[in-house]
Amino acid sequence: MDKRKIFISPVTRIEGHANITIEMDDHGHVSDALFHVNEFRGFEKFCEGRMYTEMPTITPRICGICPTSHTLASVKACEMIQGIQPTYTANLLRRLMHIGQNLSSHALSFFHLSSPDFLLGYDSDPAKRNILGIAEKYPDIALKGIRLRKFGQELSERITGKKIHIMGIVPGGMAYPLTEDNRNALLVWIPEAIETVQAGIGIIKKFHEENAEMVASFATSPTLYLGTVGPNGEHELYDGKLRFIDADGTILQDQLLPQQYLEFIAERSVNWSYLKYPYYKPFGFDKGFYRVGPLARLNVASRMRTALAQREFELFKQMNNGKPVHGAFYFHYTRLIEALSDVEDAERILNDPQVTSTHIQHHGRWNYEEGIGSSEAPRGTLFHHYKTDETGKLKMVNLLIATGQNNPSMNRSVLEVAKQYVKGDDIKEGMLNRVESTIRCYDPCLSCSTHAIGQMPMVIEVKDKRGVLLKRLERG
Amino acid sequence: MNCYMNTIPIIIDDKKLEVDPGKTILEVCRENEIEILTMCHLKGVLDIGACRLCLVEIEGVNKLLSACTTKVAANMIIRTNTDRIKKYQRITTELFFAERNHVCAVCVANGKCELQDLGYKVGLDHIRYPHLFPQCEVDTSHPWYVMDHNRCIMCTRCVRVCNEVEGAHNWDVMNRGHQVRVISDFNSPWGESVTCTSCGKCLHACPTGAIWPKAIVQGQLQKNPGMINELVEKRKMKL
Repeated sequence: MDKRKIFISPVTRIEGHANITIEMDDHGHVSDALFHVNEFRGFEKFCEGRMYTEMPTITPRICGICPTSHTLASVKACEMIQGIQPTYTANLLRRLMHIGQNLSSHALSFFHLSSPDFLLGYDSDPAKRNILGIAEKYPDIALKGIRLRKFGQELSERITGKKIHIMGIVPGGMAYPLTEDNRNALLVWIPEAIETVQAGIGIIKKFHEENAEMVASFATSPTLYLGTVGPNGEHELYDGKLRFIDADGTILQDQLLPQQYLEFIAERSVNWSYLKYPYYKPFGFDKGFYRVGPLARLNVASRMRTALAQREFELFKQMNNGKPVHGAFYFHYTRLIEALSDVEDAERILNDPQVTSTHIQHHGRWNYEEGIGSSEAPRGTLFHHYKTDETGKLKMVNLLIATGQNNPSMNRSVLEVAKQYVKGDDIKEGMLNRVESTIRCYDPCLSCSTHAIGQMPMVIEVKDKRGVLLKRLERG
Repeated sequence: MNCYMNTIPIIIDDKKLEVDPGKTILEVCRENEIEILTMCHLKGVLDIGACRLCLVEIEGVNKLLSACTTKVAANMIIRTNTDRIKKYQRITTELFFAERNHVCAVCVANGKCELQDLGYKVGLDHIRYPHLFPQCEVDTSHPWYVMDHNRCIMCTRCVRVCNEVEGAHNWDVMNRGHQVRVISDFNSPWGESVTCTSCGKCLHACPTGAIWPKAIVQGQLQKNPGMINELVEKRKMKL
């Protein structure tokens, strides 16, 4: 049979490098779609033999977008090895820094990477369908997005002196306190940040209204969901326990300790991607696909922790009568509800009298051979798992990254959208962008690179099964 | 007639100086605020001219000589910052980085490292030599300290301070060329050493992140190499 393939390489406006292969049958219908992550990092291997206390410094280098989440998961694993807990103020400062990173990442995802699709249109000129195009046509929105990101980064900078790859989150607490001047400087940002996030929510809601059919049918396969929640099921990013729900919203597991993750999550490798396929162990590989990230976190949460975000959360919950919302497109909306919660929570923390205390670190030393830590990265639940020898030298490192957990679902969503939008030999650029934008809904973080401007050339080739080129589209 | 009866005249970088004859060129330069790059020099222990960063030109001498081990002589004309010297300083620095696995971004000494400072000083923007990427063990066997051979530049400051100041001689050197390694006792794990007093002087002497305390992470490292000479001077006062 004459089986043809479409390659999308590289996928643009995401963090990292990936390709998509769409396989077509001889009638021009999509038969399969594969999402390949074609880079190999090797952190788990080359960290072996290092001291466990170096991990909070090494692992943030995995990613320039979510280094704080890696640091937090890492220090929590180190604290389990030492058998200590951070101080109250250190927890406040860590939360602040995590909020900063989450805001910065969500602003990047929405305003820089995804808003060109919503504001300029999927079929607009690819050369202008980026943040520069937004700056040209909607300068006010571009500026708001850039400033929201700046606020997020300033939260880290004013505590540790660095915007990314921060130093200062250490086992037992923090290395640097927050000064009164810096606290006041950060509080000034709050009203503007709330206004910007609400403007973003306005944009996405307008898009939902104007494109109701597309949004409702865009990659809607039901999956399980995993997220971190507080003791009463409230939305949580920094510290909490895990909750799994099924596609109907029934709670499968609740208040699981992150240290139990191996009891519920297993991984399988595939031969077309360096990204592994994690799944919910009790349901097996075929039925155990689950998603993490903002959509999952809001699907699993019973409520938000702050007032304005709670109001939006209730509207979100009404969309499917309180049941989980499955459409990948709603990642954007949930990302912005989280951002709203972030800003409100930042204000609460900054007003806590203890936030400027200098009691910021408990001290410990190696006591146990194993440590597991987790945090909610912007893209979902992240696990760091270390085993050491009796001197503290690492013997085993396992990092379960959020994007990896969304991998099976991303792959399935790509197939779904490809079937809907790619037909026959007449491949329009806008059609392929829709396939790419499926991936972009998940805001995958495939490495530490950011292609925020989307200048990378994209080549799409249609080949027969012997590799003979039938059609070629280029952009960039 | 020379009014400084106990001094000798020399010229460094066109600057006429009257200096004590027993001093090294490096000592004279430091006293007169003439910058000389060093890595293996540590005030308080013997100089060995190992790192080759302090090379200077002396008129009438064909080869470059290390300022830390060459004593001044009357009427010496010395140059410290010629293009030739700068070229060698750059080469030496590049070789330091190429020989082992120096990754500043994840190093515990990031921001507190003499090698990193040296890189900035010589304008190191790339390395022209192939990296050796040796497989070096991290010795975590000591209860308080870590020895990471990946970050060692073989300045041997730890070896000398352990021998000359602490008197323990836990550290020494084995092998030759790029196989050379600092060893504890007879190449046994540091934690099993019978000579180490766990005084921590080697940690303060180390210019990079090769020796560091287990209890700290990046951003918390505090080294005080000046403490070594203070100890030496205080002991002289007691005598």
